[in-house]
Amino acid sequence: MVLLEADKITKRFGGLVANDSISFEVKNGELLGLIGPNGAGKTTLFNCISGAHQIDSGRILFDGKDITKLNSYEVARLGLARTFQIYVASGDLNVLENIMVGCFMRTSSTAKAKSMAEAVLKELELTDIAKSMMNELPVAVQKRVTMATALGTSPKLLLLDEVAAGLNPSEIENIMTVIRYIHEKMGITVVLIEHVMEMVMKLSQRVIVLDYGKKIAEGDPSSVVRHPDVIRAYLGERYAREYAATRPDSGA
Amino acid sequence: MEDLKNAFDFSDFPRIDLIVAGAVLIFLFGFPLFPHSSFAMSTMIQFLMFSLYAMGWNTIGGFGGQVDLGQAQYLGIGAYTTAIMLVRWDTPFWISMPVGILMSVIWSFIIGYPLFRLKGHYFAIASIAASLVLKDIFEVWEFVGAARGIEILSMKYSPPDFMRLIFKEDIYYYFVILLFFIIGLLILNAFRKSRLGFQLRSIRDNEDVARSLGINVQWAKMKTYAIATAMISATGAFHACYIKNIEPEDTMSLDLSILIALMAMLGGSGSLWGPIIGAAVLVPLKSYLKALLGAASGMVGIDLIFYGGIIMLISAIEPKGIWGIVEKRRRRRRN
Amino acid sequence: MEILAGSISAGLLIGMVFALVALGLTIVFGVMDIVNFAHGEFLMIGMYTALLTSQATGMDPLLTLPVAGVVGYLLGIVCYTGFVKYLLRGPMVAQLLGTFGLMLVLRNLALLFFGSEDRTIHKGILVNRSIELFMGVRVPVTKLAAAALSVIAFVLIWLLINRTRIGKALLATALNAQGARYMGISTERMNTFAWGIGGATVTIAGALLANFWSFTPYVGLLFTMIAFTIVALGGFGSIPGAFVAGILVGFITEIPGFWDYLTYLSGQRWMAKVPMSSFKYTGVYLAYFMIMLIRPRGLFGWKT
Repeated sequence: MVLLEADKITKRFGGLVANDSISFEVKNGELLGLIGPNGAGKTTLFNCISGAHQIDSGRILFDGKDITKLNSYEVARLGLARTFQIYVASGDLNVLENIMVGCFMRTSSTAKAKSMAEAVLKELELTDIAKSMMNELPVAVQKRVTMATALGTSPKLLLLDEVAAGLNPSEIENIMTVIRYIHEKMGITVVLIEHVMEMVMKLSQRVIVLDYGKKIAEGDPSSVVRHPDVIRAYLGERYAREYAATRPDSGA
Repeated sequence: MEDLKNAFDFSDFPRIDLIVAGAVLIFLFGFPLFPHSSFAMSTMIQFLMFSLYAMGWNTIGGFGGQVDLGQAQYLGIGAYTTAIMLVRWDTPFWISMPVGILMSVIWSFIIGYPLFRLKGHYFAIASIAASLVLKDIFEVWEFVGAARGIEILSMKYSPPDFMRLIFKEDIYYYFVILLFFIIGLLILNAFRKSRLGFQLRSIRDNEDVARSLGINVQWAKMKTYAIATAMISATGAFHACYIKNIEPEDTMSLDLSILIALMAMLGGSGSLWGPIIGAAVLVPLKSYLKALLGAASGMVGIDLIFYGGIIMLISAIEPKGIWGIVEKRRRRRRN
Repeated sequence: MEILAGSISAGLLIGMVFALVALGLTIVFGVMDIVNFAHGEFLMIGMYTALLTSQATGMDPLLTLPVAGVVGYLLGIVCYTGFVKYLLRGPMVAQLLGTFGLMLVLRNLALLFFGSEDRTIHKGILVNRSIELFMGVRVPVTKLAAAALSVIAFVLIWLLINRTRIGKALLATALNAQGARYMGISTERMNTFAWGIGGATVTIAGALLANFWSFTPYVGLLFTMIAFTIVALGGFGSIPGAFVAGILVGFITEIPGFWDYLTYLSGQRWMAKVPMSSFKYTGVYLAYFMIMLIRPRGLFGWKT
């Protein structure tokens, strides 16, 4: 069953075509990777899907509903949650309260929102820092909190925008466990933008590659990294060789 | 129902806060029973009124981070509605005050809709512009007494008149406004913990993130703005009965709007106690400076120089105000 | 017909002065994204500078412009280095209320020193003279001179910014502060310079206005609002925009008076009951509101 269907999405900023007629779909229960060089239009695509930008042409269906013209808060209420790339909460909300804001989408009762948020904290093993402020936490934990906040809205689909950026290898390992948990145990469909190739290769069931606003490749991770356009535009010859060397068994 | 329970629930504050708050409350109830000067009495009434104004501002300005500098227009709407209904149609305060609130809320939606499409500086300046337009209209509108304003002649009534809120002794006014003050505090406490309160704090942090969490930012701001204006308008209605002589210049001026915002900010915007602390510092300061230097010595406006200086200091050194300093210390001690 | 021509020429002349009033605000905003609520107070200080200097020295008020300019330049620099600099670290709320505090202090200091009486400049070679422009349209010479000098000052500042080294550095900081920093331009120095220029232009405008505008220490707020409207209309940070918008706002302030004249002519007493000229500046506030809603970027804006 298809959860999200993007049909020829085009978004222009003045003369720049940030998303050029991009079509793809996300199946229910899938974990999809979205890669591409800086400025390829990945985050713009997230913004278009989540309703932060209104697209110039094309159509977006989510869970069988046309969400092309909807605002981001309306899209969120349908069950599409996202995280943001550059976001450090500086306000006076602590971790628990941050997550409660998300939970309030599903309930108007403070007590219920609190118990929902506590449940999310428990699932992501964040209970110990419930009362901490965001800016007191290390970056890796902040990223987990932003994911928890999005999960507070009980989404069907979660868009993750570079949650591993700026993390060290062990932290990346950790965040991968969290994403797997969200995907497998919580049963939430995930689309992730990521530059850390190792993570994309290990996690994704399918990968889409963008370059200059266009979709240049789509497929399972091992075939995408062999795609000549992807190598030219993004990965480079070296990565392809190294990848082939580490995974000699993985394909023709 | 849950909101009502939340309003009376202060359990998330440390015990020391509650002890201080309890002591202040006992003082507020006990104060009139002890000998006091009429000057002290009027200062206390002013303190309670400005606490309420600042509490109202704090919902949208403090929790929501929307620097509204036009709240005096709602004070004016509340005050004028009560004064006009009393003078022209002899309407009791307890009817005219809700009417004033209703008018304020309607007006807040009319101008709030365009206003909240703006952000930051643009919003602040537009909020000033909107309130100045209303003030200019009131200054020439004959029905509301134009620039002369409206006077409530207390000798026409037989005080103490609890229906029309006309009293000879300030002590009656004191207890009425104290009642308002407590209700205002409970409303703010419920707001702080309500869904809307959380949403506003999220909006102040980052509007894009707030939207991604399903918050209709525009509507949440407008609802909060309506709550703020209702509180300010109700207090404005009291202002009319207490001062008895209202003019556009002293009920709707920009200086008043700034003063309201300043009190909340000085005390600590976005906190429950902040507006009260701010009013407790500034109102006595204003009264005593006026009495001390006063118009008698030709030193007009010297209190405003102090105000301006305080605003400058606060905004350059500690934008989170007095309560912000307290919180920072507590946090440091805990870590 | 003459009345229409008179209204138009009056609007045009005052509009040119308004443009100079707004110039400093748009420069400061363009360079550092901060709005100065004390802008009108700078203008008020320019007015008193002109008045007091000409009273003290017997100079013609028009000759006090350089004095006003120097006072404004220093005032701008002192305000920036002594105060505004510290606001930049804080949140927007602090920046807004901070310059508001500055406004209160300046206004009430003026009240303390100069009193609240209405002041006008009575002396001067141009005062109380008028000149016939065309078709019987007479304008006071003071206004004509103020407009002409405003345009000259405006052009000089425009040249300073577009043709000189320091001006180009200022422009670079406005476009991209970080990029300019990489090129060795000190943001701090440029901010200070912007405040100096901003202060100087608006006090000069004040000195020009003082020749025909009666004023008190409270005059600032009106001009702050006028300047905000012009900057919003012309586009935040745009210098040519400020010029065109200044003239448009000049016209806006003349509309109510013209309307009153029309209703007077038409003999509709009920319409003349509330003179529209009481709303002379309400139109300015309304205009700000409308512009922000319809086109937040203004006519020539590049900052949103």
